[in-house]
Amino acid sequence: MSLLQINNLCVTFDGEDGPVHAVNNLSLSIDRGETLGIVGESGSGKSQTAFSIMGLLAPNGRTEGSIRFDGQEILGAKPKVLNKIRAERVAMIFQDPMTSLNPYMRISDQMTEVLTLHQGLSKRDALAESIRMLDAVKIPAARERVRLYPHEFSGGMRQRVMIAMSLLCKPDILIADEPTTALDVTVQAQIMDLLGDLQKDFGMATILITHDLGVVAGFCERVLVMYGGRVMEQGPTEPLFAAPSHPYTCGLLAAVPRVDDADAAMKAIPGNPPNMAAPPEGCPFRPRCRFAAEDCRVMPALTAFAEDRARACQRPVEEVAA
Amino acid sequence: MFTYILKRLAIAIPTLLLLIVISFVLMHSAPGGPFTSERELPPQVLANLNAKYGLDDPLWRQIVNYVWGIVSEFDFGPSFVYKDRTVNEIIAQGFPITLTYGLLSFAVAVIVGASLGVAAAMRHNSLLDYAAVGVSIGAQVLPNFVMAPILVLVFTLWLSWLPGGGWQGPEYWIMPVIALSTSFMASIARITRSSMLEVLTSNHIRTARAKGLPERQVILRHALKPAMLPVISYLGPAFVAMITGSVVVDIYFSTGGIGKAFVDSALNRDYAVMMGVTILMGALTIFFNLVVDILYGWIDPKIRY
Repeated sequence: MSLLQINNLCVTFDGEDGPVHAVNNLSLSIDRGETLGIVGESGSGKSQTAFSIMGLLAPNGRTEGSIRFDGQEILGAKPKVLNKIRAERVAMIFQDPMTSLNPYMRISDQMTEVLTLHQGLSKRDALAESIRMLDAVKIPAARERVRLYPHEFSGGMRQRVMIAMSLLCKPDILIADEPTTALDVTVQAQIMDLLGDLQKDFGMATILITHDLGVVAGFCERVLVMYGGRVMEQGPTEPLFAAPSHPYTCGLLAAVPRVDDADAAMKAIPGNPPNMAAPPEGCPFRPRCRFAAEDCRVMPALTAFAEDRARACQRPVEEVAA
Repeated sequence: MFTYILKRLAIAIPTLLLLIVISFVLMHSAPGGPFTSERELPPQVLANLNAKYGLDDPLWRQIVNYVWGIVSEFDFGPSFVYKDRTVNEIIAQGFPITLTYGLLSFAVAVIVGASLGVAAAMRHNSLLDYAAVGVSIGAQVLPNFVMAPILVLVFTLWLSWLPGGGWQGPEYWIMPVIALSTSFMASIARITRSSMLEVLTSNHIRTARAKGLPERQVILRHALKPAMLPVISYLGPAFVAMITGSVVVDIYFSTGGIGKAFVDSALNRDYAVMMGVTILMGALTIFFNLVVDILYGWIDPKIRY
């Protein structure tokens, strides 16, 4: 049994212009210690998937389907049930470290409250453990800095604090929602290295949500490519990157800028991501797809086609090219 | 921090001096004087009175003498109308009363208002929320001079539960406090509610929820402080407005506070009492603005003095 099993998750937001289908029929599973990357453009539903797991969707969000964590249904569970799982077993770090910490509380208070709440530690032990965790994320002089407020840290340091805070209870799963998007490129690399090291040390399963394919290639064993709230393609990282099957994955990989070929122009995918209040009929990528045909007006199911690999496409690249 | 407070207190001195000069000039430019009455006094008597109280000196000398009296002996002068009483006595008698129901009203307005606002925000778009908003809009448009007679009508005349006026014990405090605090309570409830709603959508609250904190702790530990910032900036002016609003309370409930003395002094041109109360209000305003700024620094660690 997988640690986390999502089946046919749908997330719909009731907006003023009618419902917005942010996530459609998404299924995924992750085992203990596994690293899964969820890749997609802004608005592809990857963050909303993460928020659904944590029970943190905005109040106007409706969900269907099932999310089972360790055999227990947690989609739509009561706050009491969720609060036992949050931080203790499933932790999350967010996109924007500048605003994700409470600016009115000392780092020490923000960290120790997790331990006193979930593990019943005394204030003193919780503080010692927090300092140890700050050391683990390589914050220099953690013993002194734990007394500081968030505004006294830089963006990268704040994200380190967030990571340390999320790992306090040694969770089974860490969900990292674009943890480096808001950071400088040099700091991005440091944070990803750190996450990689910690993942190995703690052995937690990790879901990395990102639009940076390079980060996924270096970090994740398995990748899930999302577009328009649906899974387009999924599979082990190496074969998926080496021979992408879905035209969208292909386009994404082609759009990665290359430093080794200075003359190559960046190949952007033409068009814009779909408006999810009025999504295109059938495959959401159809209007931008080079290979689109009439039969793409019907959304194909996610079907396995190679070892561990699956795609949702009527006209996969290798068949069209052949 | 300490030097900051000292600095602020030092700035208060010229501020108060300016207040004194402006009030003094305005007061003396109003027609009439303390000894104007329907039956005109003989000119010789009037001249003697003016000489006794120094009203025949040029205005600048009167101001200097007045300020010197305060600085050297903390003497705010004699009342021009109540011949046997000094301003200090009048204030010493009325101010404790005003301060009692003023502080009580303040506490009621803040505690009830903030709790109502937080509760409404936590149950956003629920019946409780609509009820709280409805009640506070209603209460906000009920000024104290409307509240006061309604209260007397209901609780004194109809139900005979509470004494209609006077100042002899806690049961006399209830109606003045309700009359004075209601509209402020409503304002505080509305400010708290909207600011709490805004704070609850912020990223650090999402983090707090992701940490598995129960909603109560999310609100009390993480959301309350930032949500109270706009409320606190409202408290300074609100407190002063409450003390000034005491005029109505004093008149309707015969509480004998400073508000009545203030209005009477203005009508009687009792220059010294008018000045004394004005300075007291000014000093309170300055003091409360300082308290608000200190509170700000205490809540928001980014503000350091």
